[in-house]
Formats: sequence, C-alpha cells, structure tokens
Amino acid sequence: MAIKRLFIANRGEIALRIVRAAQALNMETVLAVSDADRDSAAARLVDRTVVLGPAQAARSYLDPRLVVHAAKASGCDGLHPGYGFLSERAILPRLCAANGIAFVGPEPDVIESLGDKIQARGMARAAGVPLVPGCDGVATAADARREGDKIGYPVLLKAAAGGGGRGMVIAHNGDEAEAGFHRASAEAVAAFGDGTLFMERFVPEARHVEVQLMGDGKGQVVHFGERDCSVQRRYQKLIEEAPCTAMPDHLRKQLHESACALAASVNYRNAGTCEFLFDVKRQEFYFIEVNARIQVEHPVSEMISGFDLVQEQLRIAGGAGLSVTQDQVSLTGHAIECRINAEDPARDFLPSPGRITRWSPPQGEGIRLDSHMSEGAMIPPFYDSMIGKLIVHAPTRDAAIDRLDAALADFRVEGIATTIGLHREIIAHPDFRANRIHTRWLEQVLLAERKGAAA
Amino acid sequence: MTHKPTIDHPVDHVRVLMEEFKRSGIATLHLRAGGFELLLSNDANAPSLSGGQRAVAAPVPAAPAPLAAPVATPVPAATAPSSVPANAVIIAAPNLGTFYRAPKPGAAPYVEIGGSISVGDEICLIEVMKLFTGVKADRAGTVVAILAEDGAMVESGQPLFALVAG
Repeated sequence: MAIKRLFIANRGEIALRIVRAAQALNMETVLAVSDADRDSAAARLVDRTVVLGPAQAARSYLDPRLVVHAAKASGCDGLHPGYGFLSERAILPRLCAANGIAFVGPEPDVIESLGDKIQARGMARAAGVPLVPGCDGVATAADARREGDKIGYPVLLKAAAGGGGRGMVIAHNGDEAEAGFHRASAEAVAAFGDGTLFMERFVPEARHVEVQLMGDGKGQVVHFGERDCSVQRRYQKLIEEAPCTAMPDHLRKQLHESACALAASVNYRNAGTCEFLFDVKRQEFYFIEVNARIQVEHPVSEMISGFDLVQEQLRIAGGAGLSVTQDQVSLTGHAIECRINAEDPARDFLPSPGRITRWSPPQGEGIRLDSHMSEGAMIPPFYDSMIGKLIVHAPTRDAAIDRLDAALADFRVEGIATTIGLHREIIAHPDFRANRIHTRWLEQVLLAERKGAAA
Repeated sequence: MTHKPTIDHPVDHVRVLMEEFKRSGIATLHLRAGGFELLLSNDANAPSLSGGQRAVAAPVPAAPAPLAAPVATPVPAATAPSSVPANAVIIAAPNLGTFYRAPKPGAAPYVEIGGSISVGDEICLIEVMKLFTGVKADRAGTVVAILAEDGAMVESGQPLFALVAG
C-alpha cells in the first residue's frame, strides 16, 4: 500500500531532497530534527517536525528506538533513513517492521549480510562478480613467491589474523615477495601470534567506479549506469561523474551486468550501489562492496537518466514494482557533481561552521543545486560539513567541465570557508581534463603541488 | 500440580467486558473500581487514563489521524498556559517519547499540582519503545502546572512541569 505519511529520519540536504520527493507523490511529511535543526530548510517545508533530542547525534538521529517511536507516535506509515546515520543499521528496518512502518530500503537481513565484508565477498563470488585476485593462506616465503607470480605484481601482503595496517608490505616482484613475507610474517607473529599472511593484488592507480541499482525485492533489478568517484581525499569523495568515460563500452557492459547479477541474487529491494575498483592499466574491475542505501552522489545518475531515484524509492517501499524496465532507461550526456563542504582547504580542511552571510548560488541551464542552505543559515558544528552539492549536466564531459567551472565561478558564499575554490582548481587541472586521475590523485598530485607552491 | 485458572481471574472479566462493549456499540466505557481503572474506547484520541496506560479497543484507524498543523517549536513562555505565573520555571522533556505521570498503570502520579518536589526526585517517565526512563527534577519547587498530557508523545525540550520556588 502506498505510503501516506512519510517520516524522514535525516537532516541536511538529503532531508530536503526526500521531503520534496514525498510531496511530489502527495505524501504527508514528518521530519525528525534534533534541537540544533529546528529551523532547517526541510523543517520549514514539512507538515510537521518532531524534536527527537539534543544536538548530539547519539541522542537524536542515531537512536533507532527514538526514531521509530517518533515515527509511530506521529502516525507515519513509511520511514526514509536517507544516507549516513541509521541508514545501514538493520535494527531500523526491524523496528519499523515490528511497528507496521514501511522502511524505504532493503530487507534487514540483506543489509546485514552485505554489511559484512566476508559475507558480501562470498555473495559476490557466488554471483560471478570479479574480486581482487588474492590468496588467503600464505604460510611460507616460497608460497609468497609462487602466489605472487600467479596473482601478478605488485601485491599486498598482510596479516590474515588482523588489520590496522600492521605487518602490511607491498612487493613488486618475487624477491620482494619472499623478503616481504619474512618481514610481514614476523610482524604478524609479534602482533597476533600467527604468522599466516593474506595476499592480494595491489592496484596503485585505481579508479572508483560504482553502479546505481534499483531492485523490486523479487529478483528484478535495473541499473542507471555507473559513476566515477575517483576524486577522493582520505577515502571521502569530492567529485563524482557519470558516466565513467575512462571505461570502454565492453567493460562497462560487464560492470553493469555484474552489479545487477549480485543484486538480483539476493532479491535486492530499493536503491543500492555496487562499488568497484577499476584497474585502468589492466582493464579489469573488482568488487569492493554494496552500499544498501541512496547515496550522496545519486544526482549525477538522475541527471543522465532523467529519472527521479528518490521518488522511485518511495514507490517501491509502498509496495509498487519497478516503474521502468532496463530498456526504458536511457542515459544521455555527462553529469558532474561537486560536494561543497564548509571546510578550509588552506587549513588542512578544518571544518568551518558558522553563519552564512551571503549565499548566491549559480543558476542556468544544466545546473542543479541540492542544498539546504540560504543566507542567514547556521551550520551547526555537530554534523558533517557538507553544505550542498552542485551538479551540472551537458552533452559531453568537456562541455560539462566548462559548465561546472562557470557555475563554480558564479557561486558566492560568505561568512564561512568552503571548498568551492578547490573544486575550481581540481577541474582546471590538466590531469582532470584529460581524465588521468585515480583515487589517490588528489592527495598525491594536486594537494602535493599546492603544498609545494605554498612552501 | 498445575494451577487451574479460576473464572474469577480479572483478565476474564476484562475479556467479557470487551465483548459486551463491542456488541453494545457505545463509544466509550470508563470503569473505575478501587485501584482498578479501565477505559474502552472506539476513539483513538479518547482521553487517557489517570494512571497512564491506555487501552484502545478499536483497531488503529487505517487512515492516519490528521497532523497537528504547525511546526512544533515550543517556547516555554509562549506555550505555557496563562495560569502559569511569570516567575515559574520549566522542567522540559530530555528527549522525545511518551510521557507518563505515574510509575505504573493505576498507580498514583509522581506529583500533582500543588505538590512540592526536590532536586533529584523522579517526577515522570518518558517511554521510548517500551524502555521507560525516569526523569529527575533538576530544580526544587512547588508544581503549579503540568503542561503535557499523560500518555501523549512529548518532544525533546517540550515543557512538562512549571514550578515556583518554595
């Protein structure tokens, strides 16, 4: 049964995005807020807000019991968790089910098994999805050389018993694999009492590529193309684009098929993203993980597909099937998204909360802004620093970069530090224009150049 | 030896009453006998029991009840009834939940209007998903108003009690 009154268990731009999608589908909306978010943009738009608790997320947005109690007490029959916070905690859909509330997301068991790295790899393997070539039990130096030769160098050797980067060695040939085994194994014995090592192929210059999926929970899955999210700092994405033009068509097709096969094999329901590592040199991709929620960067897929993913989420949660078949999904042009954060790149990305004294975003053809900010808005210091996402769409990647540059130049924000200037630097860099980037490019190349220039 | 349930078990009486209530078609039945209190109602918005728990005989209506219109941003001075003196201080809900004035159904409320409370006294319960947490007074005084309804959802920061010193 279609959702009549939706509870939005999130904040910031995604809360606003969900409220608008729900209102477009004629749903009533109830927004959970913390004390710090009573006057948020989403709060002004909804039919009702309920104040969960104090500003600290642990006592408001991160308390599943509090959230579901509020949803039930306010008469809601559906709950959208957004991203972050409780969105991938199986307890939330379980509490929803126990209270007769439709959860906008996958089944709790699916969330749980995909959230477990070992189980998820097993499910991927069973569905025929390629994994990083590797070997679990390297017990001797001779083993290390033999397996390294088989896998292909460079390889990463690490303790099978533990993590945390201790006892990790990168080997570029058979001799290094043997020497590396002795070193890593000794460290592993010292740290964990077990010298057995795990070996996998090391990809020094990888791209992060992911596929946007939507499932009906009965084995039907459609994809909305892939996204390239290789501009990252400390594993945080800064810029995302669609499609991944660095990937040839035949690989792209395999990528989509792999992602859909995995999702179909678990009867995946609602929106999800299958993440891959793309080894450009070898022209191979490997499974990383599945994110069982709507993602921050979903708008680039919406821009190239012309399809509203959040509305589809709400329809599916209300019991509807997929509203499109794969051949009805057509992807056109190129979209790029910049995450605008209230951070100061000149001060090592120090968060810059405070009041916005000027907010003058760009407007025009092919420009979309997903933001909860406005002039006079306050960025509280309690949550993440993202203040908006600027998305552009144009017929080609080059045209999209030009449009993005013009839009960023027009974007005036005062009162706080932002990453707008850094985004202009990134997209103006010859490596970005030539699409020669990888997941460590921003830190190793651009930010290193910046530091060198400043010194 | 197993205990044979007697016909006099109170649950059986309630069951009979519920059957009669359903058959009768009356809207609300409120029964009070000694320490026992029972409210049967076909109206989900019926006033709640003095002790705190509420029994709703009718199924929850298929259509959700209409939403309270405005965005609730309680400001103590603005929402407190006029009977609250200007010098009163407010004890507010620490988080969202269901507000209960008594430690258990049928028991006497922790505090009544006119009662005096000391710092650290438990003055109400806030329930979140069957987890009941006692709220302790962070100031002393005489209760001049109880600002939330027993059994109702209260939001974080919503005024519960008004006190005056002494």
